Amino acid sequence: MNFFRGVISGQAAGPQPSGAETIQKLCDRVASSTLLEDRRDAVRALKSLSKKYRMEVGTQAMDHLINILQTDRSDSEILGYALDTLYNVICNDEEEEQDESEDAVAPLPVSGKHKNVSVPDENAQKQADDLSLQFTDTFIQDPEHVTLLLTLLEEFDFHVRWPGVKLLTALLKNQGPQIQGIILVSPMGVSRLMDLLADSREVIRNDGLLLLQQLTKGNAAIQKIVAFENAFERLLDIITEEGSSDGGIVVEDCLLLLLNLLKNNSSNQNFFKEGSYIQRMKPWFEVGDDNSGWSAQKVTNLHLMLQLVRVMVSPVNSPGATASCQKSMFQCGLLQQLCTILMATGVPADILTETINTVSEVIRGSQVNQDYFASVNAPSNPPRPAIVVLLMSMVNERQPFVLRCAVLYCFQCFLYKNQKGQGEIVATLLPSTIDANSISAGQLLCGGLFSADSLSNWCAAVALAHALQDNLTQKEQLLRVQLATSLGKPPVSLLQQCTNILSQGDKIVRRGSKVQTRVGLLMLLCTWISNCPIAVTHFLHNQENVPFLTAQISENLGEDERLVQGLCALLLGICIYYNDNSLENYTKEKLKQLIEKRIGKENFVEKLGFITKHELYSRAAQKPQPVFPSPEQMLFDHEFTKLVKELEGVITKAVHKSSEEEKKEEEVKKTLEQHDNIVTQYKELIREQDAQLQELKEQVASMTSQNEQLQATITQQQSQIQQHKDQYNILKLKLAKENQGQSNSQGDGSQVNGLQTEELTQLREEVEELRKQHSLLQTQLSDKDALISSLKSGAAQTAEGPAGGSDNTELLQELEALRSQVQSQSTEIGQLKMERQDLLRRAEAGSSDTLPSSDSSLDAAKMAELESRLGAQTSEMERLKAEVKNLSESRAELEKQLDSTTSTVAILQTEKEKLQTDVQESKKEQDDLLMLLADQDQKITSLKKRLKDLGETVEDEDDLDTRDQTDDDDEEDEDED
Amino acid sequence: MAYAYLFKYIIIGDTGVGKSCLLLQFTDKRFQPVHDLTIGVEFGARMITIDGKQIKLQIWDTAGQESFRSITRSYYRGAAGALLVYDITRRDTFNHLTTWLEDARQHSNSNMVIMLIGNKSDLESRREVKKEEGEAFAREHGLIFMETSAKTASNVEEAFINTAKEIYEKIQEGVFDINNETEEKISDQLELNRQANGIKIGPQHPTTNSTLSSNQGGHQAGGGCC
Repeated sequence: MNFFRGVISGQAAGPQPSGAETIQKLCDRVASSTLLEDRRDAVRALKSLSKKYRMEVGTQAMDHLINILQTDRSDSEILGYALDTLYNVICNDEEEEQDESEDAVAPLPVSGKHKNVSVPDENAQKQADDLSLQFTDTFIQDPEHVTLLLTLLEEFDFHVRWPGVKLLTALLKNQGPQIQGIILVSPMGVSRLMDLLADSREVIRNDGLLLLQQLTKGNAAIQKIVAFENAFERLLDIITEEGSSDGGIVVEDCLLLLLNLLKNNSSNQNFFKEGSYIQRMKPWFEVGDDNSGWSAQKVTNLHLMLQLVRVMVSPVNSPGATASCQKSMFQCGLLQQLCTILMATGVPADILTETINTVSEVIRGSQVNQDYFASVNAPSNPPRPAIVVLLMSMVNERQPFVLRCAVLYCFQCFLYKNQKGQGEIVATLLPSTIDANSISAGQLLCGGLFSADSLSNWCAAVALAHALQDNLTQKEQLLRVQLATSLGKPPVSLLQQCTNILSQGDKIVRRGSKVQTRVGLLMLLCTWISNCPIAVTHFLHNQENVPFLTAQISENLGEDERLVQGLCALLLGICIYYNDNSLENYTKEKLKQLIEKRIGKENFVEKLGFITKHELYSRAAQKPQPVFPSPEQMLFDHEFTKLVKELEGVITKAVHKSSEEEKKEEEVKKTLEQHDNIVTQYKELIREQDAQLQELKEQVASMTSQNEQLQATITQQQSQIQQHKDQYNILKLKLAKENQGQSNSQGDGSQVNGLQTEELTQLREEVEELRKQHSLLQTQLSDKDALISSLKSGAAQTAEGPAGGSDNTELLQELEALRSQVQSQSTEIGQLKMERQDLLRRAEAGSSDTLPSSDSSLDAAKMAELESRLGAQTSEMERLKAEVKNLSESRAELEKQLDSTTSTVAILQTEKEKLQTDVQESKKEQDDLLMLLADQDQKITSLKKRLKDLGETVEDEDDLDTRDQTDDDDEEDEDED
Repeated sequence: MAYAYLFKYIIIGDTGVGKSCLLLQFTDKRFQPVHDLTIGVEFGARMITIDGKQIKLQIWDTAGQESFRSITRSYYRGAAGALLVYDITRRDTFNHLTTWLEDARQHSNSNMVIMLIGNKSDLESRREVKKEEGEAFAREHGLIFMETSAKTASNVEEAFINTAKEIYEKIQEGVFDINNETEEKISDQLELNRQANGIKIGPQHPTTNSTLSSNQGGHQAGGGCC
């Protein structure tokens, strides 16, 4: 140090080598030495000089040092010294500068340009800044130098990486945008810097954070790349590792970097939300109720954390993005956590204020969140709604100003686009719903409105105005509010009371500014009566109001009253614009005449313009949050500036219009109305036709559905018919089978289902045949009878002989016996006939009983009968089938036809019955005859035999006859033969 | 929302080929006919399901203009998949594919799955690049290929999902080292060359990360988690 002291003091004296000379020598050594050792020593020396001889080292050694960075990359030590030196030259660190000045006896005149010896601190600082800038510019003249620095950062050695990080940070601080540009275009530039966060050496990681902070400042492209490189994940991890809000400055740095990445970067905000990082913010705010300690660092950290939440739901973000963030903040419980802090005790005012602001923006315009907020209760006894507790702070003079502003903001956000909330607030003032036992929001607002503190007046007025914003119902409801004044006097309406205070304001002693109170009240009145003709009428009904306003506007008052004049003009303008002419004294026309007479149109418009020309107006118009540097500047509300913007033009127009113009306009309006009428007529017509169309459409629809239903039933019926057909076919088959079975066994499976004419005719034919047979047999019988009688006579002749006589009697006896046999048999036949008849009847009754009859003849008859019936019915079915096919469209018809067919069936049945009896009769007869014949045949043969035995010759005719007979019963006859 | 894996995608290709429209169609299921130049990079996200697993896709839609090329290069390294898009009605966009591919291969992780997409397939009448040419190019360079229409949404879903399937298969095969994004490198000289492959294991996965970091330094090949 002594040597350098010497150098310094020697500079003025001259003989000793100046700092510049020494540095020049060192530079030469750096440039020309072949030995690494020498170069290293020289750079080290330069480093040690670099703080004191910043200017000289910077100007003379910069190029050499950069050269070292390029050529001596293998030696990390020399690289480290070079980077340190460059850092010292380029960096502008105040603290170190101060350290230096302590060392030096007097401030050092560093160059010829800066000869001012007794430089004040400010000036020195400026010079140092200039130097930093100058050297930074020199360094980045060649963008390659920055790229070189980036590649050096890949060097793992602590002695290179650390100063490298610091140098780049310093460069970014001095010439951010330019270096950001260079890093952006160098491949993997940003990614490499992101890797610093993963460095296990905390110093480098922490300085890496500072570097990234500088790198991401105001450059959306870099911010996005950093986010892409998993910055959110890493930073949130570091914050957690470091103990969240209890962590040190590293947490603060992480939070600052996060803020850089998210502020005004919608793409990154979206990424943050989509990456579910909002959920990871919730644990930050679990600060607990013990509040054992609130260190300054914790307050700072928590403050930044709250700001991060606000960045995600800022009113300046796109509504959709904010809404989705608000939603997930509610869903993950972040809002609930914030409300806990809100109601906790012992939270520093600073944090409490920012928490209120944060809650405000988390609930703003989100119905779900607003509803939740309305339900939050303070843990007091009895529990009070958080809104009430907050409003108490707002109208409490002893609370910090920023806190009161925050509460106002919170209340505004609670009511923003929240008709339900607005209704609830106004309801607490209405006579019907007022609750005398507990303090309500409405009471607090009224208390604030009429308190002796102008700030409370203003806040309460603005808060109440927000309960009426864009809500006609509440504007009308609020007109009902009556206030109890001093005892004995009648109650006064809230509107009346507001105007009273406005006009008599001067009589009350107030803390704060009178202007503030009046501005607040006027804003409330303007919001209240605008777009609400009933409220305008109420306002004008008070005879004192209009004279007061005109007096205010026309007076030539001082600077501070100008705003009040402007607002009075606005209020009067609203009275004209939203006037429904229901009060005779204050119609639009009359009010305009009044303005022209008392104030003058031009004057009026000029006064109206005072509002927007006010210096604080545009500031309030910028953003919804009420932020004011001092309580006196609390004059405009954001929503109110919107109203002014909306109304200024239309009121100016309304006032400027002459009555003639108005008349013309009215005429135009009338014609327009006429047109409108026509249009409405047509609209009505269209609507009617529309309705008709609708009706018809419905009809068509119902009809199509009906049609569909019918079609469905048709198909159903068709399928039923098909089913029946199938059933029928099956039955037919069954019947056929059963018929076959019947011919073998005695089973009577006759389920009389149909008729078959074909079989009927067949049967008829059979009957015919049988008849023929019958007649044939009868002729045969008569022949035989004749034969018998001839034989008898023959026998009688033979009986005349002695032997023959006995024989004849024997024969006669035998004959007699045979006859009796025949007789008995015929009675038997009669019996059986009866039995058969019986069975027939039973069969007709539909029973499918089997006939236990053993008589074959009867069975045959019965079978035939059943067969015929079945046959007849089957044919009828066939017919029906055909009919069904033809007449499927109508079931009723089918039924009708069925009826008719059943009648024909009946007819046929009777016919059949007749035929059956015929058949029976003939059959019976035939059978009888056959029996008889057989008997007689036997007799004849026996008789013949006898005759032969007796020696009588019998004619051959007999044989012939017998032979004829055997045509029918061959075997029998042959056996008998 | 819980997911098993998170994949990072980038969409690259000449300006006006419909990169942003593809993303919009995929994330919002709508089409915006007005061309709005992308500045730098825009972000989009969607959840898909592959093999019964929820997979979150984070997609960075890059600007196609030459002036943004250096910025968009920064996104190659951290991506697991890339959609390389050309416009079938503009041959020049097809001709530039080689440049894009070189760029991507140079700056990206070698395992990055690249899907070649011929967009605007609805404009058949104005087609300048045959489907066969696209297929040939893809075959030649080992890419997956698909023709899409961001307007009609044809194949859009498939393009994103098929890419994810390919990545998923690579994970199953153990090609990707999915544990490498943990903070485990203790004085590892290779630290700066760490592979950023654009894949993250979901939070509900059994996290073997912590045990891995204590037991084994350096890179563990293969997807130990699956």
